[in-house]
Amino acid sequence: MRPGRAYRPVARSPRLVETTRGDRRELWTEAVGDFPPVYGERWTEVGGRRFRLFEPGRSKLAAAIVREWAGDLPAPGERWLYLGAASGTTASHVADLVGPEGRVYAVERSVRPFARLLALADRWPNLRPILADAREAREYGDLVPPVDGVYADIAQPDQLAIVLANAELFLASEGARLLVALKTPSMGRGRSAVAHREASETALAEFASLVPSVSLEPFHRGHFMVGGRWGRASKLPLARSVRPTTRAGRRRGRSRR
Amino acid sequence: MRPTLVVGNGPFLFVIGPEGRPSAGPFALDPDPEVAAHRRDGLTSSDVPERLVETLDTLPRDIELMASPPRIASALSDRLHRPVNSPSTAELRRARSVVPPFDPAVERRFFLALGRLRLERALRAPEEVLITLAREEDRVERSVGREARAAESFVPVPDSPLEAHLAAWERARRALNDLHAALRHTVESEAKRQVPNLAAVVGARTAARLVAAAGGVRALARMPSSRIQLLGSRRRPSPERGPRYGILYRADRLQELPVGRRAAYARSLAALAAIAVRADATTRHDISPTLLERRDRRVETLLRRRG
Repeated sequence: MRPGRAYRPVARSPRLVETTRGDRRELWTEAVGDFPPVYGERWTEVGGRRFRLFEPGRSKLAAAIVREWAGDLPAPGERWLYLGAASGTTASHVADLVGPEGRVYAVERSVRPFARLLALADRWPNLRPILADAREAREYGDLVPPVDGVYADIAQPDQLAIVLANAELFLASEGARLLVALKTPSMGRGRSAVAHREASETALAEFASLVPSVSLEPFHRGHFMVGGRWGRASKLPLARSVRPTTRAGRRRGRSRR
Repeated sequence: MRPTLVVGNGPFLFVIGPEGRPSAGPFALDPDPEVAAHRRDGLTSSDVPERLVETLDTLPRDIELMASPPRIASALSDRLHRPVNSPSTAELRRARSVVPPFDPAVERRFFLALGRLRLERALRAPEEVLITLAREEDRVERSVGREARAAESFVPVPDSPLEAHLAAWERARRALNDLHAALRHTVESEAKRQVPNLAAVVGARTAARLVAAAGGVRALARMPSSRIQLLGSRRRPSPERGPRYGILYRADRLQELPVGRRAAYARSLAALAAIAVRADATTRHDISPTLLERRDRRVETLLRRRG
């Protein structure tokens, strides 16, 4: 993003801007930490603000935004719990989105990625790394305060159960946000990716009011962004959009249109 | 009546009274966030702050006492000589929502110190040492091969300034070879110690690489043999000609077989490796003689097979 080139703020997040390069839409987050790049991403400075390229091929959250995810994004000043932070690629962008006043509590179980996450946390002042298994939420119950949102990117067959256990313990209130980068390849081969997504939506809809999920292809094969707002009270108005779609249902929908 | 709850908040502990508000605290595990991180991670009854013990001792014995996280509950129970239970999720949520936040600078230092501490401890685990060694040995082996190939294709020019550099290069290559030999020896002895059955069936170095590729002994033990067979394999361009073996290609006795029968051997070997690593991860019984007998019988069968 060159200075002077047209860039537009993304309405839902004041620390996220977009530019157009050819026919491609590029997203940029305002950096909280210092240069050098975290994973080789491009940096630029516009009007005294430093931005980092938020690549959809590297981050499922960026892919979801590019694929028109309608749900809320992390906002400045918020506290987020990030499950499955790995080396901190997306976690650093979530930390950018919540800004210097916000916090990201990043949980990672694997030792080697955590070493890189820890080095990143040294440079990213609002990132709090936690080496722990997200299945054992109570083990870090004294480290994570009530949060405004949970973002999960966990390659486990029971990823949904892990997310729900953490959401139940840490989400501050009804209306708090839930963002799940659903990895259907990790959920077993007994069902198709779409069937996994539908089953997950049905399970999540018991606890949250969901916004329509989006497929993250072609950036991430077999992945979907699923989520919405925590709390059953607000489930009803959006329930129609997350109703499992059967083949017959899809046919009916087409004929009506 | 609600229980009295002791809840942690980073380096501090708070007492939440039955009315649901903080009734005492904060009790610092230590004034220095880095020392507090050490205490929090290995909390024992002696690390419980004295003032907290005095506060809790004043409570009537019939009041139910709860604490979270579980480590704190256990330490308190030992110290107070009375049962300290874990709260329900709803109780814990309520308690955490009334605990005051602490200074961001202290919080940051505490988290970084705790992260470093846990990372160091995790990296010292024997399994992690084996994984690190196996990866390093693999990297050094590739360097040795690369240097050897470069040396082979190098054309020396007599009586030129290159002569001095060549001698230095040869010394460096020799040092790299020595490092590789030492690493290989260490990796093999570690693998024999940690996964003896697997090391016997596929060879110690291959066993170490399998563990490293899987990310741990338990992770490897959870894998089906079909996955073990493909660990470390590279994807080929055509899906019809998928990879048939990866790390197992370097297993003992594989090179004795003709190329056309190696895939069959890899399948059988992967099945035996799956059994071996499950024994290593669970019972730790020595089942290697039986597995070796089956492996060698399979090799003999494949060698006898015509065509």
